[in-house]
Amino acid sequence: MPETKPKSAKRDILSIVFRLTLTCLVAGLIMGTAFLLTHDAKERNEIQRNEKVMYSLLGYNEQNPAPQSMKMYPIHRYILDENQNLSVGYVIPAMDENSALLVVLDLEGNFVKQYPIAHKFGLQNNNNEDLVVQNTVGASILARFADTILVVTDNGKRTAYILDGKYPGFKTLIHIKMALNDKFDVLGFEVLEHEEDPGLGAEITQPYFKNQFNNRPAEKMKTLEVTKDPMPDDYRNALTGKGNLSNEQKGQILAQHKDDPIYALTGATISSRSVLNGNKAMVKKFVYRIEMLDKVIQSQNIQTVLKN
Amino acid sequence: MSNTLSKKELIARGILSQNPIFKLALSMCPAVGMSTTVVTGLMLGSAVFFVQVFSSLTISLIKNFIHPRIRIPTYTLVIATWVTVIDLVLAAYFPAAYAQMGIFIKLIVAFAIITMRLEMFACKESVSDSVVDGAGMGLGFLIGMVCLGFVRELIGNGTVLGYEIFSFKPFMFFILPCAGFFVVGLMMAFFNWIEARYRARMERKS
Repeated sequence: MPETKPKSAKRDILSIVFRLTLTCLVAGLIMGTAFLLTHDAKERNEIQRNEKVMYSLLGYNEQNPAPQSMKMYPIHRYILDENQNLSVGYVIPAMDENSALLVVLDLEGNFVKQYPIAHKFGLQNNNNEDLVVQNTVGASILARFADTILVVTDNGKRTAYILDGKYPGFKTLIHIKMALNDKFDVLGFEVLEHEEDPGLGAEITQPYFKNQFNNRPAEKMKTLEVTKDPMPDDYRNALTGKGNLSNEQKGQILAQHKDDPIYALTGATISSRSVLNGNKAMVKKFVYRIEMLDKVIQSQNIQTVLKN
Repeated sequence: MSNTLSKKELIARGILSQNPIFKLALSMCPAVGMSTTVVTGLMLGSAVFFVQVFSSLTISLIKNFIHPRIRIPTYTLVIATWVTVIDLVLAAYFPAAYAQMGIFIKLIVAFAIITMRLEMFACKESVSDSVVDGAGMGLGFLIGMVCLGFVRELIGNGTVLGYEIFSFKPFMFFILPCAGFFVVGLMMAFFNWIEARYRARMERKS
């Protein structure tokens, strides 16, 4: 490097700024192009994965596909804010396939009013649909999307619900999907995203932990606790399908342990407790909301496919 | 231009005499973290290969434009660009592989071998030589990762490419991160031993 004099140092800085800026711009352009080119494929993967998780929670897979008579309907929940007066809007499917209803309830669960919407809502909410809801309620009310419940029906009869939820884990948010049957027993849950420690909290995705929640009724979820006791071997084998158990034996063992507390993961009690508390809260809120909504649908005689 | 090696020699240098893992011992942390099986080793190795080749190409193309005082930031910027591209492509078209590699893809930005090759070679030499040199180094890393993955998967888990070779797990210990360093050390010794014997034989002949 030649010795730099004050004058050339100034020119140096200008040259550095110019070259670095240009390099950054070109780099940004390349990354942006790559993002645009791969964005669609990435989104498609996400949707496919979501679908696979949903079907597997309901007990369907490639060998045992879902029946044709099975249908899924979304219920999107919106928070409606009219000058700090909050109410809740549920977008539910109407009788005919291509339209929906926005049912507005106050915070105590009393019916306020309903709007018909001529739009077919998808299973996953998007910005476009948020706009449709906003236009329906008018400019004086602010509509904010809250969450989506999927109602699964078979031959018109409700068979299951799929919930989507995020709750804090040991480190960051844990994103899960949970399925409940029509009597609000937990069918199972699947972790979509988490950042727990590998080997410790990350074990929440393992069958021997997450399957402990299966078949727990909503009523019993309320009082479920975590225990640090070691998990009995027979229960672990039944949960993971190891140890050459026949289906009958497995059922017997699971029935024996059906009222056990949740056995915490070794070295990850906090993660275990977070998952339990998160799941508990999700089930509790869901049951409260769906019962409230059903009561209103019955009492107001709202015309929806969910009425049966 | 000071490069006197032919293209073939450049490739051979990256794989053998200056192998990033067994000779230079660079980027050991991700190498140990991702070489638990052949497949993961192959995946990280290929990602590094692409980033190395593209970064060498880019730096060689813009070598006269880079201000000498901000060489290293520019290298980092270029590497980060290509890592982001690879990251996006893998996430979009190979979601299963991407889920396994997780954070290690993003860590390629800080890989010592890549920065080292840009500083030592690509910023001085011609475009074609730089690409070949990058390919050699990338291949050296890829082959090193696959060798490590093979040994660790076979001894630690009793499988190769997921197929069962032994019905038992000879040494579970080999899957663990600390054992990765032992395997690297043992293989380093093994390669040095072969090289020493080869040299000795050549000398005897001449």
